[in-house]
Amino acid sequence: MAGKYIALPKGVSEQIFDTAIKEFRGILGEAFVLTSPQQLAPYIKTMMPVPDSEHAPSAALIATTVEQIQKIVGICNQYKVPIWTISTGKNLGYGGAAPAERGQVVLDLKRMNRILEVDKDLAYALVEPGVTYQQLYDYIAERKLGLWLSFPAPSAIAGPVGNTLDRGVGYTPYGEHFMYACGMEVVLANGDVLRTGMGSMPNSNTWQVFKWGYGPYLDGIFTQSNYGIVTKFGFWLMPAPPVFKPFVIQYQNEEDIVEIVETIRPLRINGIIPNAVVIAHALYEAPTKARRGDYVTGPGAIPDEAIRKITKDHNLGIWNVYAALYGTQEQVDVNWKIVTQAFGKSDKAKILTEKEAGSDPAFEYRAKLMRGDLTLKEFSLYNWRGGGGSMWFAPVSQARGTETLKQMSVTKQILGKYGLDYSGEFIVGMRDMHHVVDVLYDKTNPEQVKAAYQCFDELLTTFSALGYGTYRVNTAFMDKVADTYGPIQRKVNKILKDALDPNGILAPGKSGIR
Amino acid sequence: MRKIILRGTASGFLLAGTVTVGLVANTAWAQSQNDSSVGFEWKDGTEVYAKVCGHCHETKVGPVIRGRHLPAAYVRTIVRDGLRAMPSFRSSEIDDTSLEKVAEYISKN
Ligand SMILES: Cc1cc2nc3c(=O)[nH]c(=O)nc-3n(C[C@H](O)[C@H](O)[C@H](O)COP(=O)(O)OP(=O)(O)OC[C@H]3O[C@@H](n4cnc5c(N)ncnc54)[C@H](O)[C@@H]3O)c2cc1C
Ligand code: HEC
Repeated sequence: MAGKYIALPKGVSEQIFDTAIKEFRGILGEAFVLTSPQQLAPYIKTMMPVPDSEHAPSAALIATTVEQIQKIVGICNQYKVPIWTISTGKNLGYGGAAPAERGQVVLDLKRMNRILEVDKDLAYALVEPGVTYQQLYDYIAERKLGLWLSFPAPSAIAGPVGNTLDRGVGYTPYGEHFMYACGMEVVLANGDVLRTGMGSMPNSNTWQVFKWGYGPYLDGIFTQSNYGIVTKFGFWLMPAPPVFKPFVIQYQNEEDIVEIVETIRPLRINGIIPNAVVIAHALYEAPTKARRGDYVTGPGAIPDEAIRKITKDHNLGIWNVYAALYGTQEQVDVNWKIVTQAFGKSDKAKILTEKEAGSDPAFEYRAKLMRGDLTLKEFSLYNWRGGGGSMWFAPVSQARGTETLKQMSVTKQILGKYGLDYSGEFIVGMRDMHHVVDVLYDKTNPEQVKAAYQCFDELLTTFSALGYGTYRVNTAFMDKVADTYGPIQRKVNKILKDALDPNGILAPGKSGIR
Repeated sequence: MRKIILRGTASGFLLAGTVTVGLVANTAWAQSQNDSSVGFEWKDGTEVYAKVCGHCHETKVGPVIRGRHLPAAYVRTIVRDGLRAMPSFRSSEIDDTSLEKVAEYISKN
């Protein structure tokens, strides 16, 4: 485009934007206000099936202190410049580091990355937004603190603040991350700095140990939202257990998911299996061992016979249930007995432990995730088809067998209509499941881009008609998903938005709120 | 056990001219703050390779990139722009100097 900037914020003239940029430079220095196409290139790449230009930022600001952020929101209010905040900025498959709307200024907090505290006894951490799991992992290892992290599959390159603020999940007993969040510091649109919970109290030392504080619990409104900029974040860590026993249970038919879920649910609700169990379809695991092109060519979704061949060739189940036991040897022994008895009732279940499956690449990375060891092996998914297109379709399901089978079948059928494969898994919460499907397509192929977009749209429409909501979505579909939750929720979100951010400067469009 | 005292006057810029939000530490905290007050910096190209690139490029997720004498400029461009399945990395994640070092490391090792 002509002009100085690759994009401009909606309703802001180049002249006004010039002034704002000059003032941002006054605060951050020349080097930390990025506007050239070259500097902004890493903020533009997304995996979504829409032109990258629709999510191109006008600028990126790299801030490192609360004071800088307070001044930045002051300028944004003055010139009505919208900012899109990222922490580690690796929201891959959900929009990456790119803003929700073209022209928004990215506020990049990656360099605000101090580990402020890790308390060994109380097992918690207080960190700034730019801290990665790798950084924290190394910090804990160097000091031999004996604490485990729970993280999403992009582990090393992502971070606890961004992941938890988007209500992401991991695979240890602390896998439902927001459940283990404890205390935030938030810069509000008017520049106020709020510490949630006990953090509001001068001299309190219980900010990271008691979640609720006094009065309304506010932390929730700063997740998946645009009501503030989180600048400090506390969360709990898991003391390393003396014994860790990962295992996988394989089943050979898609319908077996009913039996799997019915067997797992009581074990999970009763805490026998404490971690976020994953029930992964063969096509979610296959990319660690094979490529799609080895089995099929040409258009259309991969046929069931080919999937069956893959499971045979690569020692996979159609369903692969990854879980682990944690505790002392005695505890693990007792729980192992309960688990094997529960699954042993069926002749369909094949139970494998580290002894049998330890060197299997899928088992290996799953085991790492379940004990908080860094691995990026799950990115193998993108080699399945190639071309770097991906969207996470993430409906929530009851932990009930019939429900999971229904969700799986409907998803697979719709994907198939568009020639796309079912690369799905269920991540088992206490009573829910995050049904997570990687809608993989070739972003270099315009026809597949179109198909992927339409497919995703249909998935959302059909699922909401069935009463299934999605827990999180990429930035191209946020409004659509917000609508599925009905007008009153949108209205209340809007009332809060107007009260906390009357000029609408913070991440307009996030979760459909503006 | 380390203790942290967070003392801050949180006041809106609209209301107050000066704003102080500081971390004021007691002695135990001051000690631990020393090693973390600066934030994270990469030591050298080997570290970037081991802690970012290696997670994919030594595990068959991405192609082998060492020992191929890939031109450093090419490596730098791929890292900043990304390439299909490979995510892009921002200067806030890998600063320009560290990127030069890792690109050099890759082209020579
Ligand atoms: C192969 C693969 C596997 C994945 N597996 C998982 C998985 O297992 N679990 C999972 O949860 N995700 C998964 N993801 C999705 C995603 O990569 C992770 O959730 C990742 O942790 C998000 O990026 P981040 O941590 O860098 O957060 P960021 O990108 O920094 O933040 C995410 C969002 O939170 C908001 N936000 C960030 N910082 C702030 C702030 N300071 N104040 C206010 N709002 C803020 C913004 O809306 C931002 O877009 C996967 C992705 C890929 C490619
Ligand atoms: C999340 C996994 C991942 C990480 C981390 C990663 N890469 Fe990659 N990289 C890939 C993949 C996958 C490809 C192949 C992309 C394709 O062809 O679709 C690739 C391709 C490349 C290429 C092109 C190779 C060629 O044969 O032309 C270069 C160069 C490269 N990466 C460098 C790096 C560097 C340097 C780093 C670290 C700063 C890095 N990558 C980190 C996954 C990764």
